[in-house]
Amino acid sequence: MAELTQSMPLGISRPIPTVTDNPPPTQAELMAELGLKSRPGWTSRLPPGLAAFVTNGKGMVGVVILLALILTALFAPLLTSYDPNRRAGKPHVQPGYEHVLGTTRMGKDAFTQLVYGGRVSLTVGIGAGLAAAMIGLALGISAGYFGGRTDDIITFFVNVVLVLPGLPLIIVIATMVETAGPPVIGLVLALTGWGWAARTIRTQTLALRAREFVLAAELMGEKKWRIILIEIFPNMLSFVMGGFVLGTIAAILAEAALEFIGLGDPNSVTWGTMLYWAQKNLALQSGAWWEIWPPCIAIMLTGAALVLINFAVDEITNPQLKASRKIGRIRRFLSRRGRSADVF
Amino acid sequence: MIFLLRRLAFYIGAFFLAVTFNFFIPRLMPGDPSARIIASFQGRLNEAQVEAIRKSYGFTGSLWEQYVTYVGSIMRLDFGISTVQFPEPTASLLFYAATWTLVLVGLAIFFAFTIGSFMGIHAAWHRGGFFDSFFTPINVMLNAFTPAIVALLLFYAFSLQLQWFPLGRAHSTSIMPAFSVEFIGSVLYHATLPVMSIFLVSFGGWHLGMRNVMINLLNEDFVILAKAKGLSDRRVRYRYVARNAILPQITALALSIGFLLGGALVTEQVFNYPGLGKFTFTAIGSRDYSFIQGQLLLLTASVLVANLLSDIANVILDPRLRT
Repeated sequence: MAELTQSMPLGISRPIPTVTDNPPPTQAELMAELGLKSRPGWTSRLPPGLAAFVTNGKGMVGVVILLALILTALFAPLLTSYDPNRRAGKPHVQPGYEHVLGTTRMGKDAFTQLVYGGRVSLTVGIGAGLAAAMIGLALGISAGYFGGRTDDIITFFVNVVLVLPGLPLIIVIATMVETAGPPVIGLVLALTGWGWAARTIRTQTLALRAREFVLAAELMGEKKWRIILIEIFPNMLSFVMGGFVLGTIAAILAEAALEFIGLGDPNSVTWGTMLYWAQKNLALQSGAWWEIWPPCIAIMLTGAALVLINFAVDEITNPQLKASRKIGRIRRFLSRRGRSADVF
Repeated sequence: MIFLLRRLAFYIGAFFLAVTFNFFIPRLMPGDPSARIIASFQGRLNEAQVEAIRKSYGFTGSLWEQYVTYVGSIMRLDFGISTVQFPEPTASLLFYAATWTLVLVGLAIFFAFTIGSFMGIHAAWHRGGFFDSFFTPINVMLNAFTPAIVALLLFYAFSLQLQWFPLGRAHSTSIMPAFSVEFIGSVLYHATLPVMSIFLVSFGGWHLGMRNVMINLLNEDFVILAKAKGLSDRRVRYRYVARNAILPQITALALSIGFLLGGALVTEQVFNYPGLGKFTFTAIGSRDYSFIQGQLLLLTASVLVANLLSDIANVILDPRLRT
């Protein structure tokens, strides 16, 4: 506007706005200005929830990181020729050609331990997360759908599991069993970690039970298990997924913490026991950084990947979060056109 | 009032469940703790000595009698005798250690909750802006870095390499514990890194929680009405939206205390801090069951008290609960 007024020679202070001066922007231009991209065509064939997940950048970055970690753990024997439990060289060899990440105080190859340890850590974490989500799903749906006495009893136990402090409880159990190997830790984590999933799924079931399509199914005389499995469960998938992701994060972190403080089986090779040995052998104080940082980075990467996936899942369960992502651009778009953006 | 009484009844029930749990775990496992102690004497004990050891662990009489004795002793705050620091009663060790853990967790929660919540309010108000799209994912990702790792990182960088902070202890040994500026300063100086590591892994949760609840509230009619009335931004943000959004946060805060206490256990281990974690660690090493069980009961009790406090706070903040 400013340069237009200055270039007007004939004393006209304001240009008369005309429609023909600026042809209306095409849809492609508008979308570029708003930073929107049209979805790839193949996503239209997917169910809407999955399509929203696949087109979510954050979620897909998380999936890629997690897949990379799982694949390296799966193909561990192809990546390294050493045995994670055996001495492979002199103690505390610096990282180099022979030993990619050096050796531990015991002379074991750190990289081999890292990839083999990933197998156990990821299995325990994902297994415990899955089990916790399943327990939460079963109890949450039953409490929400059947209501009454069933609901009261289940809700009591959900609340108890929620208030009992997890790690101290696991410490008590782990000290009582002679050696708490990874399977025991996974089992205990699964049995103590289903509280949140059960609570959110119960609330969601309560909301769904009051909806017309469930009522219609009930009036048609469908069996209860069929209503739960066919009508309610598919609407619950993103919540189960959320419970699974959060449960897995909690389980992987808790397993690492437990083994780090020496409650696990010190002879098993996991990321947690690697940290335990590194701390016990004063790896930090003696400058052997390669013994302690690789498992740390692996745990942090796993955690970060799962958090990114959880962001995507959150945006599916709570669509307002997704809408809010574009609001900054929409506001700027509107204010460039002199419109008020206060309603948002 | 009825709401609070019902919650109180639930907390007492939950505590009894924890006590019962504590009672049954050692009895379900093959061999009781006393059997291990007796075995370690390799048959050098006579009948009376064996009986005395079993009795001191509460393993005599019928199961019901044992249970009544156990609950009775818990009620009298008698957690048994510590085997690590024999013959110190476990209870006094527990309370000494818990004081230091409380310092750490209390400070960490205070900073994490206030800073995290304000960040969440800011992110939700300017949602989709730079702060929201940049700091929200980063803060939440910090949340997934277990306290053990963050503590190791901080310990390595600031205690070992830069040597800005001490390598252990809760206060300098040259200062006698007293209510003086010097002593409190020393305590805070020693607590800085442990508090920092708990803070770093927990404030992202409050940020995300506050942000998500706020975003859902911002589309409610009462917020649009408040804006339409011409109320100032500050007033709408804090008195209308944040006040409603803080309610579920307070409930979540009380529930998260168990997690934070668990995180503190690990952090203390790294920083050699004489709190519950450090003591529990020694207790695990020497199989001091009375202490390990005691820490569970103490932590459960503190989580339950925190939940009760959050219920009271909810009643104060939310008039709908006051009926």
